Amino acid sequence: MTLTEDTTTLADESAPERKVPRRRLRLDQIGLYGLLTVAALSALLPLIWMISGSLQSLPELLANDSFLPAVPQWGNYITAWVDGDLGTYLRNSVVYTGSAVVGILLVSSLAGYALARLDFAGKGVFTFVILAVMIIPAPAMFLAQYKLLISLGLTNNPVGYILILITSGIPMSTLIMRSFFVSQPRDLEEAAALDGAGPLRIFWSVILPLARPGLAAVAVIQGLGAWNEYLMALALFDDNALMPIQRGLTAFTSAETPQQQILLAATTISIVPVVIFYLMAQRHIVKGIGAGAIK
Amino acid sequence: MTSQPVLVPTPRLKRARSGGRPLRQNLVGWLFLAPAIALIGVFTITPFGQAILLSFQSWDGVSPETPWVGFANYEFVGSDPIFWASMRNVLFFGVVGFFLGNAIALSMALAVNRITKGKTFFRTVFYLPGVLSVVVVGLLFSFILAPGSGVLNRLLEIFGLGSLAQNWLGEPAIALPAVAAVFIWFHWGFGFLLFLAGLQDVPQELYEAAELDGANAWTRFRYITWPQLAPVTSIVSLLTLLAALQIFGTVQVLTNGGPGYHTMVPTLAIFNEAFVNYRYGSAAAMSVIFGGALVLLSVLQLAITGRRSRA
Repeated sequence: MTLTEDTTTLADESAPERKVPRRRLRLDQIGLYGLLTVAALSALLPLIWMISGSLQSLPELLANDSFLPAVPQWGNYITAWVDGDLGTYLRNSVVYTGSAVVGILLVSSLAGYALARLDFAGKGVFTFVILAVMIIPAPAMFLAQYKLLISLGLTNNPVGYILILITSGIPMSTLIMRSFFVSQPRDLEEAAALDGAGPLRIFWSVILPLARPGLAAVAVIQGLGAWNEYLMALALFDDNALMPIQRGLTAFTSAETPQQQILLAATTISIVPVVIFYLMAQRHIVKGIGAGAIK
Repeated sequence: MTSQPVLVPTPRLKRARSGGRPLRQNLVGWLFLAPAIALIGVFTITPFGQAILLSFQSWDGVSPETPWVGFANYEFVGSDPIFWASMRNVLFFGVVGFFLGNAIALSMALAVNRITKGKTFFRTVFYLPGVLSVVVVGLLFSFILAPGSGVLNRLLEIFGLGSLAQNWLGEPAIALPAVAAVFIWFHWGFGFLLFLAGLQDVPQELYEAAELDGANAWTRFRYITWPQLAPVTSIVSLLTLLAALQIFGTVQVLTNGGPGYHTMVPTLAIFNEAFVNYRYGSAAAMSVIFGGALVLLSVLQLAITGRRSRA
């Protein structure tokens, strides 16, 4: 009850006539913060435990009596990095994700611009195809995609994997870019056209530089998607030197059953890039998810 | 710059004279679409057709011949208890994710929308699990839910609830809800973000007017928030449902479908049929049945939403 008294006093001091609603508001806020804190803890605790476990020794981890490590075993990280060959996997993931994002941005901004601004026969058909393709679920296609890549000689090959990543990102990104271009003013394009620039020149030197916010939203959403892709990587790669991090992590797990604390360290290392990226780009993530799903 | 207004109508005049779009204009449009068309054609539409074709063929994944077998694959899949168990299990994930996952997402969005400080913090934390990969989530929770001295059992003991300790992933009756809980932990942040964005778009005047009329919190939710959120709700529902139905990596890493087939899901069944049993034809038949069901579901949902928003 002390909390109620506190809020009353506060309300008394500032605005006596609004005493009742303000106290209700305070209690309401305390309840909300309590609820949100519980939810935040359930989101964070597994991750905190992962980091804590990755710094314990094996007997300590198996005994499981203390949440925090007695003496942080930083060596676990070195062992995980070396034994798990994480450097190779992370580098592969960076290359695959980076290439996929660049490809998606280029292809989908071209297509999105055409759908938003250019007038030509067959535009409606293409828009329909894009929507139809978005409905086809990955499990219905990945076998045939795998078979196709075999016949193209592109299994265990970065190019095949990157092309699949790009293709799967195009439909949604094209729609995001289209809605972005639709909402942009036409003045600059018209001015450039008057100056005699062709459509491709206008696109490259006028439109793309202005489209940075839209491109950023697409890049973070598709970047996260490509970084975390797993099903296709599992089907395509059996050469460890080519695997992306998600695939590499499972290869490490199943290979020589390394000790738990080392696995936890490897898992922690694997999330560092994506968590840093998320914290830096979260404004765009929110915008991108909203644009991709709602518009 | 007086010449500008004079120049603007010219394209329209030209078009009127030629009676349609000039060839050059169509070419430019298709040139912009060419890369997208090429990629989608080769890597999406062709495989989609191929998957259907493959479901009527027999293929071991290696040999160049794929003999035609008619409906044999479908008959084989039809009597495959594992596949149908996986369809039932995934329905469970779908229903739990749809109701429980969305309820958590919506209530947290409502709560964050009402607080005054720390919105960014909670938004960041709630979506954090969503950026992790399925492999990380699977590995992490296979440790947390481990039998014996796993973290969850240990926590229960500390709080004096040791009798509730379980072999979370090993008991048939418990493994399915346990995996569903992990799925919700992983995915609800996505719905939360969309609901929060939707709430911020609800015009404040509506609430002010309702408050003047003396509407209480429930009435305001029922008659303002809920109808205003309808488009977001239907999108979130569809996306959560599709994510739940296509669940793969989390299950593969966490339980690999076990114990028995109690957590088997269609995508994993398809993967195993192809890459473990080397029966690509029947795996393709599975993906046609399962993919067809998903497409049907999406079309149905879009049709319902479309009708509702038009009404």
